[in-house]
Amino acid sequence: MEKLIHFLLPRESNNHKAKILHSSSLLVLASFLVLFQIVLNLLPKLNPSILGYASNISPSEVVRLTNEKRAAAGLSALSLNQELSAAAYTKGQDMIAKDYWAHIAPDGTEPWKFFKDFGYKYRYAGENLARDFSNANDAVNAWMNSPAHRENMLNPKYKEIGIGVVEGDLAGVDTTIVVQFFGAMYTDKIVQPIAQAAKTEKTVVLTVAPTIIPTAIPISIQTIEPQVRSQILISPFTTTRTLSLIVVAILLLVFIVDAVLVSKRRITRVAGRTFAHVVFLGMILSIILILKAGNIL
Amino acid sequence: MPHYISLIFIFIAGIIGFYVFSYDTNFQIGVAFALASAYVSWGIIHHTIHKDICLSVVIEYVTVAILGIVITLSLIYRI
Repeated sequence: MEKLIHFLLPRESNNHKAKILHSSSLLVLASFLVLFQIVLNLLPKLNPSILGYASNISPSEVVRLTNEKRAAAGLSALSLNQELSAAAYTKGQDMIAKDYWAHIAPDGTEPWKFFKDFGYKYRYAGENLARDFSNANDAVNAWMNSPAHRENMLNPKYKEIGIGVVEGDLAGVDTTIVVQFFGAMYTDKIVQPIAQAAKTEKTVVLTVAPTIIPTAIPISIQTIEPQVRSQILISPFTTTRTLSLIVVAILLLVFIVDAVLVSKRRITRVAGRTFAHVVFLGMILSIILILKAGNIL
Repeated sequence: MPHYISLIFIFIAGIIGFYVFSYDTNFQIGVAFALASAYVSWGIIHHTIHKDICLSVVIEYVTVAILGIVITLSLIYRI
């Protein structure tokens, strides 16, 4: 108990400043947080399935939300293309298999290769990537907040969309990757006048590619849904966030109590301004609360 | 008091930066370092004006800033 008071309250034994607020203690605290991150990085080596991000993202929900954003911008809806979905899913699997998070694979494979592999002869093509989002809404909103990704989502040149949601181990962490492929085929241009009319999507499909329909809708592709993993033990982001919140909250409390007691006892000491420290930590607290799991590319 | 207003203004700008550029981790890292530097600079200027600057005070601001940087970067890294 004595030690705890020594750490948390100002008194003679700690030179009238809570020990935890001494520069040496703050450095130890910072070192502890760095060490915690190192341990978190080492965990997958001990148990490969211990780290991960819980996620529940449905491809159809991503399509619905994307079309919702396009409708809000006065654009036509994108039709779901099964070839594009299969290509997107394969791109996601490629990222897991080769352990990379990028538009272009380490071996130089570009996203367009996946379009071509599935026979999608594009006139225009685009790709958005997302990972570690807990739901489709957060992923779509993150894309919309980024000018480059937003441009892809609201591009009037695109007519079709394909979504691949893949779960797997990326750099030792169980990850959910969302691959969003956009495209417009050469043939789209031919049927454009028809496409402008309302409810002509089916007409377009039938007119454009009677040869595609039999090959492009295999059941296995249509039902590509992510497998929800229930064995995730530790989310690296949530764990780091919780620990950060605890550390900052304790420091804020100790700083405030320290300032009140020192002021009451009329103790003069050489130190930084407590108010400035409290405001700085308040900002850090706000940043911790603002940051959300999920990355886009 | 005007000193504190400028400090609060800097921090509010930083929070807005983090919120608006939530998709850009490189920008967020830059903002984190800029805020920590601004905080240390503010401390040095403030204490110099009040003529109570000394090494231990500067170290105090630097250590609080380091702690802030470590917390922010560890979260950005985990996003």
